Amino acid sequence: AKDSKIAHLGYQEEKGEDSFEEAPMYVAVLTYMNYGIVILFGYFRDFLRAVGLEKCHQAQEREEQRNFVPLYQDFENFYKRNLYTRVRDNWNRPICSFPGPFFDIMERVSDDYNWTFRLTGRTIENVINMGSYNYLGFAENNVDFLKTVAEETRQYGVGVCSTRQELGNLSIHEKLERLVAEFLGVESAMAFGMGFATNSMNIPALVGKGCLILSDELNHTSLILGARLSGATIRVFKHNNMQSLEKMLKESICSGQPRTHRAWKKILIMVEGIHSMEGSLVRLPEILALKKKYKAYLYLDEAHSIGAVGPTGRGVTEHFGVDPNEVDVLMGTFTKSFGAAGGYIAGKKELVDYLRSHSHSAVYATAMSPPVVEQIIRAIKCIMGVDGTTEGQRRVRQLAENTRYLRSRLKKMGFIIYGNQDSPVVPLLLYLPGKVGAFSRAMLKRKIGIVVVGFPATPITEARARFCVSAAHTREMLDKSLDELGDDIKVKFSRHRSSYRPELYDETDFELDS
Amino acid sequence: MNVGVAHSEVNPNTRVMNSRGIWLAYLLLTTALHVVLLSIPFLSVPVVWTLTNVIHNLAMYLFLHTVKGTPFETPDQGKARLLTHWEQMDYGVQFTASRKFLTISPIDTCEHKTCYFYTKYDTAHFVVNTGSLLSVLLPKLPQFHGVRLFGINKY
Repeated sequence: AKDSKIAHLGYQEEKGEDSFEEAPMYVAVLTYMNYGIVILFGYFRDFLRAVGLEKCHQAQEREEQRNFVPLYQDFENFYKRNLYTRVRDNWNRPICSFPGPFFDIMERVSDDYNWTFRLTGRTIENVINMGSYNYLGFAENNVDFLKTVAEETRQYGVGVCSTRQELGNLSIHEKLERLVAEFLGVESAMAFGMGFATNSMNIPALVGKGCLILSDELNHTSLILGARLSGATIRVFKHNNMQSLEKMLKESICSGQPRTHRAWKKILIMVEGIHSMEGSLVRLPEILALKKKYKAYLYLDEAHSIGAVGPTGRGVTEHFGVDPNEVDVLMGTFTKSFGAAGGYIAGKKELVDYLRSHSHSAVYATAMSPPVVEQIIRAIKCIMGVDGTTEGQRRVRQLAENTRYLRSRLKKMGFIIYGNQDSPVVPLLLYLPGKVGAFSRAMLKRKIGIVVVGFPATPITEARARFCVSAAHTREMLDKSLDELGDDIKVKFSRHRSSYRPELYDETDFELDS
Repeated sequence: MNVGVAHSEVNPNTRVMNSRGIWLAYLLLTTALHVVLLSIPFLSVPVVWTLTNVIHNLAMYLFLHTVKGTPFETPDQGKARLLTHWEQMDYGVQFTASRKFLTISPIDTCEHKTCYFYTKYDTAHFVVNTGSLLSVLLPKLPQFHGVRLFGINKY
């Protein structure tokens, strides 16, 4: 039944295509005009600062060292001092409560146009949190959860003070790894203290010189760093584009290693389950088919998708109905859906045993702290239902509902949203750099906290705001944040207009005389 | 590495000229400049055309061939610091679509039934226009990639 589903031509419609709608051309032209004006003003202000008419807040070379070779290039800082500083108050906002569905932000003002900030002492309370990766709502102050965490902390202490290989292998770590392996449905798993470090320290252990890495265009920095540290040849294929991947596979296998043209030792395809800036889901069945055809290995980074997609929260493998043992290396993080910190790598027993002795993280990095481990164990038990409640299942279902609801409402309201209909990461495209700042500030004034990103972190025309749906959000919270996204900041650029279907009556009103 | 960056592009400057709508924005800007100049009452039409040509080429020379490096820090360890924007485009690959477009556009403004025609092939205008056109065409030749004449603009 599983295989026939993959072969079925229309399955892509069942799972939902990633949508990357293009904005009208006038929006792109206006974006460039916007950047042009800001650049011209930047040059003008730099001139004023150089002449002395305006006070320069930036760090400057000392008088005695004026004629030395400069340490930094002025121009490299241009974007930061002329564009980023103008809108700097939208990032690094200090919060003073746990980042659950609501949080408190410390109010800060700037007297000199964002060069320095000062805290006023007031807090903006009960801001709706649409920016934290709190997919299953485990970022909470729940007494039941924390009881076991407190007990384990009393038993094991807070710090391990050693690496896994030396004296740091506690029984709680083994318990966690067995649980992770059972949760994912694979043979064995290993946990590390930091999600970024899981990627950057383990990829060099798996591949080396003479191997080929095919990585997606929009892969995370940790994957890129791991690939570069490994010394393997890296080829980048277009985002989620299977034709580009196949073409690259064919060409690489035919031509072999760069100068010697010998066969590659290993070919590793690196993809992410959900990409955090696009919200697009990986095309897992197609990649698995390609992998089998060309005999390559697959490294699947499920940082955002573990716990967040799939009917029982097992990740993209469950979402597509694929056996997790077919993916060679399953990687994920505990930071997003489990409310803790750290990462894991799972797969066959030989692979994980090899990593236990050869991974940089295992040999040199401190082991995970026991309270964090217990939090993860508790969260996984909750999702699996082992603790006897249906709380975990409720959260997974609530997340799926919230995701579908938010996405469909946003689309209907006319915003351009990227990504798959099932992904809890919802990028809302803003395009113009001016709107980026205005949107974030307007949202904060209406007590909604969001994350915005602009150039150069995104392509020049695709600045966006990113909503992260959580299972802890209720329908009222989502409705409130949707209602606040009005027409003031005109970002409703979507041109998808459905034909006129008049609503004859209000379906939620059952009064006889209405 | 710039953590929090949404792509694996080492230098985003290389892709700016290929982005959607930038050719149109550039053409609109040039047309706007021309229209503004045309509205100045005491300038005759030939002078306006020459002025458009000269100002456009000057701006292009300034932004594409004088300003070096990137306005933001890139993780390429300074490889692009001494390169002008033209040299950074598409990581130095020659004869891409954007490069061809930006080469042909000043020639088109200058020759093709426009500038020379409207200045009625007057000698003085011709000299000024051709000089300005050459100043913006020569740096675009592949032979001039990375060349700094007389050490001007080297560092």
